[in-house]
Amino acid sequence: MGAYLSVPSWVRNLDSRYRFVLGECTECGGYTFPPEGACVECNAVGTLEPVEPAGTGEVVAQTVIESGAPPEFAALLDAQGAIGVVLVELDEGARVPGMLTDCDPREVARGDRVESVVRRIYEQEGIVRYGAKFRPEP
Amino acid sequence: MREVYLVGAAQSAFGSFPDESYRSLFAAAFERALDSVDGDVDRTSIDEAYVGSLGVGGRQLGLSGPAVTEHVGLDGTSCTRIENACAASGSAFRQGVLAVRAGAADLALAGGVEVMTDTSGERTREWLGVSGETEWERMAGTTFAGVYAHMADAHMAEHGTTREHLSSVAVKNHANGANNPDAHLQFETTLDDAMDAATVADPLNLFDCCPTSDGASVALLASRETAEELTDDPIRVTGSGQASSRVGLFQRPSLTSIPATGDAADQAYDEAGVGPEDVDFAEVHDCFSIAELVACEDLGFCDAGEAGEYVLSGATEPDGERPVNLSGGLKSKGHPIGATGTGQIAEVYKQLRGEAGERQVDGLHRGLTHNVGGSGGAVAVHVFEEGWA
Ligand SMILES: [Zn+2]
Repeated sequence: MGAYLSVPSWVRNLDSRYRFVLGECTECGGYTFPPEGACVECNAVGTLEPVEPAGTGEVVAQTVIESGAPPEFAALLDAQGAIGVVLVELDEGARVPGMLTDCDPREVARGDRVESVVRRIYEQEGIVRYGAKFRPEP
Repeated sequence: MREVYLVGAAQSAFGSFPDESYRSLFAAAFERALDSVDGDVDRTSIDEAYVGSLGVGGRQLGLSGPAVTEHVGLDGTSCTRIENACAASGSAFRQGVLAVRAGAADLALAGGVEVMTDTSGERTREWLGVSGETEWERMAGTTFAGVYAHMADAHMAEHGTTREHLSSVAVKNHANGANNPDAHLQFETTLDDAMDAATVADPLNLFDCCPTSDGASVALLASRETAEELTDDPIRVTGSGQASSRVGLFQRPSLTSIPATGDAADQAYDEAGVGPEDVDFAEVHDCFSIAELVACEDLGFCDAGEAGEYVLSGATEPDGERPVNLSGGLKSKGHPIGATGTGQIAEVYKQLRGEAGERQVDGLHRGLTHNVGGSGGAVAVHVFEEGWA
């Protein structure tokens, strides 16, 4: 049991799941993630053109979850003891949420540089969902 | 626009009640609300009912509004369930205000109910995350506490807010809640204990987080004509504001403020013809300690970034310039999601009428309630004042 995301709803966003594909607004030039709906900068609708980001950026907020993980991440929390979650300002401009991987999450702080990497996110209905996480830039 | 009066309001006890059902808790709040009215209310004269509930546990997701109003003898009365996450009953109250203003109701019920403690830990954790942005924010592994932890992390970095500032909120609200016989966690805490508690989502620890609770609350709203039949000691709803914003924190321009609070407060202040400096006391949405700091800033009680020092100065204590969360707040009184908004209104009703018992503060004439859904996707703000218009 966990947050229910149907397989179609996961698959239709794979470009953004794997590579954080963003929307650039033809109206104001702002960036929106994911590239659907209204522009987060100017609220224009139908103005988002997909942009392939480099996948690198800066941590603007960080937390380490030590208890209370939702069921879909409970096994991960048990295995790791902690889950690092960050908001990252991508170099292109949009802000995205992501999980930390390949590091001690307590060592990552606001202001640090990170890069995205594809990892296993979770499993639901017998299907493993993959997507992007963040790790410190080498 | 017709005047709107708060003629009664009450909450059930908040806490963990395995022997109660969502219906019996609602009934307890409803009967107390009827008793809180000066005159006699014929329950069948209620024209419209709005009941807030998230539906934690999934117990009666469809028609949970009519399921509780039928239980208290309102069979036949128009009832609509309002879902706006933790702002459900603040939003239900606004619907009641609009109904009375519009002339569609002379007497309206706004309330809420939630039962959160009778499900397994796994099911509870599942439900606690449902009001975050589900497709992206939750899939990053965060929790409800994690989203507010991001706000705290940013607030500490941008404004110099400290561990002590956060814990001061918990110490104050527990001290207040210890005097509230209907509070879930009726104990005091020391600053040291609050600062040293186990981490939940760094930088937030256990004492930065409100509990999950069972409970219900009910408010009764009336037109002037109906209010005059029921009381000589009226409380007027002078301002109502509600706003929504992006559900995911990552899509909002600021990590250190909740824009929907400012938007809703602007509407409510404007209608009431007052500013934050005119508010004598407030019940604000402190689901996490950082949320109370951000609320004080977004409501204009202090400048942006200065809430830590503002709370530390004692300004929000019962004997301060503007008491905040005299009830104990969500932190101590508890947070039965759907019941929280009208629960705040019940405290304002009690304080303005001098019926708050041991925690009564004298000389309060104008109060404000602030109810947030999720991390700021919806906010309802109301202003209340003693006396006829
Ligand atoms: Zn735009």
